[in-house]
This record gives sequence, C-alpha cells and structure tokens, in this order.
Amino acid sequence: MSKALNSRRLVKIYRYDPSVGGNGHFDQFDLNIEDETKTTILDLLIRIQKTQDPTLAFRYACRVNMCGSCGMVINGCEALACKTNVSDLPEKCDITIRPLNHFPVIKDLVVDMKPFFQKLEASIPYFDPVDESMEPAVIRPDSKERNLIGLATECIQCGCCVSSCTMVNYHENYAGPAALNRAFTLLADSRDGLYDLRMNQVLESCYHCRTEFNCTEVCPKEISPTRAIKYIQLLALKEPRRLKRQNLLKPIHEEKTSGKESLPSADSGCNWLIEQHNRRKFLKQIIFGIGTASALVVGGVIAAAAIGPSLKRIPKRLVRLDKLEAFPVGKVSTIVMNDIVPNGFYKSEIKKPVIVVRRSDPDKIVVFNTSCTHLGCTVHWDESKKQYMCACHGGAFDEEGNVTAGPPPRPLDRYAFKVEDGYLFAEVV
Amino acid sequence: MEQSRKIQFRGPMKWGELDPNRRRSTHVGMWAWLWQRISAVAIIFFLGLHITRTYIPIIQFLLLITVVFHAVLGLRVILLDFNLINIRYRNSLLGVLVGLGALIFMIIWKGIY
Ligand code: SF4
Ligand code: FES
Repeated sequence: MSKALNSRRLVKIYRYDPSVGGNGHFDQFDLNIEDETKTTILDLLIRIQKTQDPTLAFRYACRVNMCGSCGMVINGCEALACKTNVSDLPEKCDITIRPLNHFPVIKDLVVDMKPFFQKLEASIPYFDPVDESMEPAVIRPDSKERNLIGLATECIQCGCCVSSCTMVNYHENYAGPAALNRAFTLLADSRDGLYDLRMNQVLESCYHCRTEFNCTEVCPKEISPTRAIKYIQLLALKEPRRLKRQNLLKPIHEEKTSGKESLPSADSGCNWLIEQHNRRKFLKQIIFGIGTASALVVGGVIAAAAIGPSLKRIPKRLVRLDKLEAFPVGKVSTIVMNDIVPNGFYKSEIKKPVIVVRRSDPDKIVVFNTSCTHLGCTVHWDESKKQYMCACHGGAFDEEGNVTAGPPPRPLDRYAFKVEDGYLFAEVV
Repeated sequence: MEQSRKIQFRGPMKWGELDPNRRRSTHVGMWAWLWQRISAVAIIFFLGLHITRTYIPIIQFLLLITVVFHAVLGLRVILLDFNLINIRYRNSLLGVLVGLGALIFMIIWKGIY
C-alpha cells in the first residue's frame, strides 16, 4: 500500500494528572508516520514520549503481545498497543487512545488493575491435582478434553475483555470474562481437584453474561470467554446435584487454616462467597414467588375463560330472517340467517342457513335448523322425494322433520319463531 | 520510597465517556442484546394497545413484528447458551435468524390478511 507511506495522523491521547484530578482531557499530537504497516500504536506512544511529551504515562513491557500490560482502548475498541498497527485502523482517520473501562485511572493510560486480579484470584486460578502422586499427569494433546480447552489457556491478563464487557459495570460482583475463562480451563480439566469449590465460586457470575460477545470480539489472543462462560453453565446443568450437596462455606475455612496463601483473600473471596450464597437463596425465593404469582394469574385467566361462558346465562336473541311475504305459502325455502354473537371483546358474525316451511292449511310456519342431528352436516330439501336429505351419511327426514332413514338419532331441530310487523324472527339461544 | 501523599485515582470510565469513538465498540452481539430489551418494552406497550383497541391492523402489525423480532433474538440466546451453534458463527447466526423472523412474519401476516 503506497498510501500508507509517509502519512500524517492526528493522535488524540487521554490525559489524566493525579495531582490535578478532575475528569481528564484529550491531548493532540500530530505525527508523520513513515510506514503504517510497520508502526504499532505502542511505537507512536514511545515516540511521543521521547520527542514531544515526556510526561505521557503508559504501560508496556514485552512489545510482542506476551505480557498483557499495554491493553488500552484504541479508536473505541480494546486492543493491545503493541499488536495494533496503524494500518489496522481506517485510513487517514484520527487515532484516539484512552485507558480501559471499569478500572480506576492512575495516570493517563495507566489503570489500576487491582480489581481484575482480585477477581481472578477469587476464581481460584491455579491447578490442584486430584491425586498427590509425584508423577506428572499426562493429557494427550490430541485428546477431546485438551481440544475442548484449546487455546483458552493462552490468556495474558490484559484486561481488554473486562473493559469491553458492559455487564461488569452493572454487576459489582461479576467476576468478568477473563476470570471465568481461567476457571473454565481448570473446570474442564479432569486432573484438577478443586472442581466443586471453584464451581461454587464462579457459577453465580456466569449468569451475569448477556451473550454480547464483546469480550470475544476484542480479545487479542482470540480467546472466547463467552464460550467459557456458556460451558460452565452447561457443566452446572449436567451436575446440579453435586452443587446442592456442597457445604458452601466449609472448604474455604479448611483451606484457609491449612495456610495456602494463594486462596481468595478474606475480603475479596470469602465474603463474596457468603454473599453469593445468600443471594442465591434470596433469588430462589424471589423466582419461586414470581413463578407462583404468575401461575395463579395465568391459571385464573384460563379458568375464567374456560368456565365463565357456561356460567353466564346467555339471553335469547331474536334474529330477523326476512319479510313474511318472502316465504311463499306451501313451499320449503332456505335462507341464510345472519346472527351476530357477542364474544368477549368483539362480536362475531355467524352465517347459517335455516329452512322455513310455510303451509297453507292452516297458516303454519316451521323453522328448521339445517344441521343434521347425526353429525351436523347441512340437510337440504329434495322436492322429488319430499324429504330432507343429508349428503354426508345418508340421513333422511320427512316433511315434519322425523327420521325416515339413516343414522340420525332424533328429528330435525326446530327454532322457536315470532312474527312481528310482517317480519319473521327466529329465536336463537 | 514511601509515597508521601495519597495519589488520587480517577474513577473508572464506565462506557468510554469522553471518547468520541466509543460507539465503535458496539459489536453485533451487543446490538442483538440491546434490541431484544428494546423490543421487550415495545411488546408491553403494543400489547396494551392491542387489548384496549382490538383488530386495528397497524397495531396488529407492530405487535406481530416486535414479537417475532423479540422471539428470534431469544432463540439466538438459547442456541448459543446450549452450545447448539458453534460460537464461531455468532454473527451470521443473527442475520439468518432475523431473516427467518421476517419470513415467519410474512407468512403470518399473509395468513391474517
Ligand atoms: S481473555 Fe483475552 S482479552 Fe481477556 S484478559 Fe485474557 S487475553 Fe486479555
Ligand atoms: S507490551 Fe506486552 S503485550 Fe503489549
């Protein structure tokens, strides 16, 4: 890329002076960069410190992505200063460099990593073998277990993932991606003897994860702490009993008196554990309470909807069919009845054919329900046979609606009716 | 040498306040998370409208679209939580699921109207 040669870049660096305090501000430096593909952000910082502002503070040690001291936020994304080339950033844009999120700022780009290491320590980040044999345990490099853990052991504790995770901000006790990733490498290790203890330390934290994958996106070692967190959750699902049986507080005290110093310290680890225990209990009660309440509400609504209609007396409705003259005397006529039924929040319209028979002698009217009394198919009048026929199963009814053939168990149903103002009304229940 | 006076740390940055580029760190997964929360609130709102004013097409439309959207984002979390999808495909998974949601939406909408 020829464009990347001898380019000018404006570098904005966050400055905070502890002797002044306040919110901090950005300083601007104008730099000529000879070859962007060969210049890292760390090179820029060193150059600025040597040639422009010797008071600029930042951390670094190895310069080759191994020590994890140079984690910072470059153009809005967490990254290692020594791993990010200027050419990795969009061409010609200004470069903004600021310290990591969620850590107190000591000076300029230097943050206090104490919270990070406290939380890492609380996840019991060391290996303690199940058996005390002196032989080194062997894990074959091609075994399933080793492949599962994969490169998750490569974490350099740079803190990028913790800075990128928004949940660290909202949940004070959240151990954070790096600590959980470390715990995962040991939980998945069959040789390790502290499974239960570690599980109890970290499981609660795993549920703070909201699957945002921010940590996975930024990790300079291409580790996915999200994957680690999900794996721990799955492990807990597979062995819920083992978790319950645990006496949560005992092992810590035992270990403490035995004098292993790298165990979680009293202030960070143990209180945390007790708190988690109480919290778990409290959460259980809350969830049970909410569950019961919502079950009652939903149950109530369903019950009311199921039983309600049959308890309520539905008033008889008169449905207007047509003018009386529309039904010729001595004929069988079929008309579609337009019935509007109130149903909860809305009204439903039911269209249903009815048969009206008007006889001359005497002036007698019968309104038949067209549903066959067998299985409800619609019957029709057959003029030649002088019968009502049902096409479905061969049921037949005579003029009075009595069964003459087929399976129907009773005569055709009739509607009560009324004649008012020359209109014929059917009475529907 | 002992520090003579206590250094005053600046409180942690919470979301990169002051940083003009901070929105660049909003990755795909974070949008998925954020939109699921937003759609959850929207569902409550539209559901209320839907119950009080029944059968108004525009409200049905909005309710259905938020419900489907919320559901596919929930599906994403389930698939990832139970390791049913390799997290390597996390970003394309979102696209596929949202596409699927749009398809389901269209089928349901066609079914109604
Ligand atoms: S998991 Fe990755 S981002 Fe997090 S501390 Fe380790 S190396 Fe850094
Ligand atoms: S200086 Fe060691 S990782 Fe960047």
